[in-house]
Amino acid sequence: MSVGVKEKAAGWEPLIVAFCCNWCSYAGGDLAGTSRLTYPSNVKVIRVPCSGRMNPMFVLRAFQRGADGVIVAGCHPGDCHYSTGNYSARRRLSAFKRLVEFAGFEPERFEVRWISSSEGDKFAEEMTGITERIKALGPNGKMRDARWQKKA
Amino acid sequence: MAEKSLKEAEKIREIVGQDLLGGRIGLLLGWEKGHYWWQSRPLFAKNEADLEKLTWDSFCVINLSRYLLEELKEHGKVGVLVKGCDARAFNRLLQDNMVARDRVVLYGLPCPGMLDYGRLNEEAGGALISISESNGSVTLKTGTGEKSVERDQVLMKKCAECVYPDPVVYDQLLLSPQGKKEGVERFKSVEDLEELTPDERFAYWEGELSRCLRCYACRQVCPFCSCRECFVEQDNPRWQGRAYQPGENFMFHLVRAYHGTGRCIDCGECERACPVDIPLQELNRKLIKDINQLYGDYEAGVDAEADPPLLTYRPDDPAAFSEK
Amino acid sequence: MKKMIGLDKLPALWEQLSAEGPLYLPIEERGVVCFKPWYEGAVVRLDALNGVVPPKDIFLPREETYMRYQGGSQTLEIEAVSPGPDDKATLFGVHPCDLKAVEMLDRVYIDQEPGDSLYRRRRENATVVALACSSPDPFCFCNLFEVDPADAPGADIMAYLSEQSLYLETRTEKGETMLAKAESLISDAKDEPERPREVKTTDFGLYLEGLSDNLKERFDDPAWDNLYKSCLSCGVCTYVCPTCYCFDVEDFGHEGAGERFRCWDSCMFGHFTQMAGGHNPRPDRKERVRQRFLHKLQYYPQTYGEIACVGCGRCLRSCPVNLDIVQAVKALGGEAVEQR
Repeated sequence: MSVGVKEKAAGWEPLIVAFCCNWCSYAGGDLAGTSRLTYPSNVKVIRVPCSGRMNPMFVLRAFQRGADGVIVAGCHPGDCHYSTGNYSARRRLSAFKRLVEFAGFEPERFEVRWISSSEGDKFAEEMTGITERIKALGPNGKMRDARWQKKA
Repeated sequence: MAEKSLKEAEKIREIVGQDLLGGRIGLLLGWEKGHYWWQSRPLFAKNEADLEKLTWDSFCVINLSRYLLEELKEHGKVGVLVKGCDARAFNRLLQDNMVARDRVVLYGLPCPGMLDYGRLNEEAGGALISISESNGSVTLKTGTGEKSVERDQVLMKKCAECVYPDPVVYDQLLLSPQGKKEGVERFKSVEDLEELTPDERFAYWEGELSRCLRCYACRQVCPFCSCRECFVEQDNPRWQGRAYQPGENFMFHLVRAYHGTGRCIDCGECERACPVDIPLQELNRKLIKDINQLYGDYEAGVDAEADPPLLTYRPDDPAAFSEK
Repeated sequence: MKKMIGLDKLPALWEQLSAEGPLYLPIEERGVVCFKPWYEGAVVRLDALNGVVPPKDIFLPREETYMRYQGGSQTLEIEAVSPGPDDKATLFGVHPCDLKAVEMLDRVYIDQEPGDSLYRRRRENATVVALACSSPDPFCFCNLFEVDPADAPGADIMAYLSEQSLYLETRTEKGETMLAKAESLISDAKDEPERPREVKTTDFGLYLEGLSDNLKERFDDPAWDNLYKSCLSCGVCTYVCPTCYCFDVEDFGHEGAGERFRCWDSCMFGHFTQMAGGHNPRPDRKERVRQRFLHKLQYYPQTYGEIACVGCGRCLRSCPVNLDIVQAVKALGGEAVEQR
């Protein structure tokens, strides 16, 4: 009955959704690009105004619609463009991470990182890191909506 | 029923009667008996005849504070009977700016814990006819005889795990306090689940949540679910699909529980209301446990002035992410 | 013809029957009894009274996809999805009240044109084995609705449970076909099944004669102003009610494709009557509570000649605030005074 971790099919590539704060981490991603650093194309970046904008439902919806891993990236605590957004995010997402783990997700599936706009190298490293960890873990079937398919 | 609770009911009727008939309050929220001796239902008392029906026994489990949301639209001032959990529920609504303190008169009822019909039946082993109570024990009368059990054995689950039986906020305390309960093991089942592997935990929740009918009773009885529009009903974006898919079940239950982070008063009404016995308190308590561990002890609803943990922060807060 | 089967042979019977199609039995999982497809090792509780959820979901599933679509900018392909013609389900152990409730749903979904093809197919393909009740619980009040707890007229097979055996009385051809498949496990009954003596349930002192007609004048009755007060607007009563049958239709769509399904809905929810333009003809709890009870007590009987309640007691047991149909009938003048 449980769908848990699915078997890795040949040629399987993980889908990672990265929610990046506009002011630091998204810019960090830009810097990674202009510095010609590479990171896996498995990562799909979604820009959010601030890590404090993260609605936990974004994460769950990503899992429902096929994500194998989700990462939220924001400014380092203390450096928030809106002063305190990431302080709130830190508390909220900490509680949320524990909750999704309690529901049965592996800890690797959902992560939060602080990446500044000058840390292009860290951006590439973290995105490579989560992709590697999810590759090792295998596809996610938990909460995955069976009705959701890619366009034929 | 026990003579003690009859006397107490008499006293309650007398005191609230003065306020209601004297015009201090326009409505009193209390309990009356339902069809059965093991059911008490909400009473909306406006006059002397209504007050006659007012009851106080070991089955007044329903939380009345939530009715304030509607009744304050109609009445200038409303009186409510509050047990320990109901008073914390009131504080929850107060902190959420859903009620005005000066329009509510709270009559505090320190609560000995309510009895569970299912557990009584189980103890009786069939055909339970009636019960009587005295000094912490309950005598069960069945078709074939009588049996005496400790009151603690037949309490509702939520009452057996209650820490604050006395109202934490009231205008008038009508009965003598029970005292805070020490040594209550609230987190045992959460800790047991934490021991499992992720896949085992997922299978556990998938099984439990598969029974969910999406009746939303857990939400409707909940003092923290007082939003005017719930994410469940939002149309654009449509967060909550109506299909009974496992993913949709998780979506509802995880988000419901998460919205109670630092706000859930641990009254257990959600679990009591659930017709298919989903252990919802385990989700709520996981959040209570973690938030206390990460950001310091906090009991939602106990002190209406204290900041809920998710509405505040410290620059040096710890995080639960793998990068510290 | 009366047959019997030893209780020890039942698991073998389940196994055989489930090979033919889904076999629904009252199965206990984590302390909750519900009708579920049988699986090996399932805890079957034929001795239990009504489970929390009635077996209506076997014919009217909580969720049912009936159409898939796919298309680009110019074309749209639509494919009908329906239960396969071989989907012959067996419903085993349903109590007479619940079966009567299914017959009430039949009137809505089958006995008029055009009928509901999905429901009809499931219903007509299914074999129903009803099980007599011997002792009602305090929530049962089926006597009030002329349900005989010991006999379900609409069953294909009527079953009676005794200490060692299950007696089976075939009533229809479908029932005989079913038993023929399990011939090796079943023997002719040597004795008459011990029929439960007349089973008496409570009637709460209700008097229903003429109630439906009287209610026509009571749409604006002040009784409604008090009755709804305790309602929380949850959907428990409708979802555990065996005679509630409302559904909603929703699409699950994604890029260029999707599916349309129907799923249970409840008139107790505000969104039930919410219109696209924002108007809601039943804006508040009062209107919704009135709708539910009038539907049971006036509208359904007006159309089909019978009150849409079978006295299963589920709403009395499950409502979180103990607001139920008995309270409603009492408030609306259905309490016996001197008439009886």
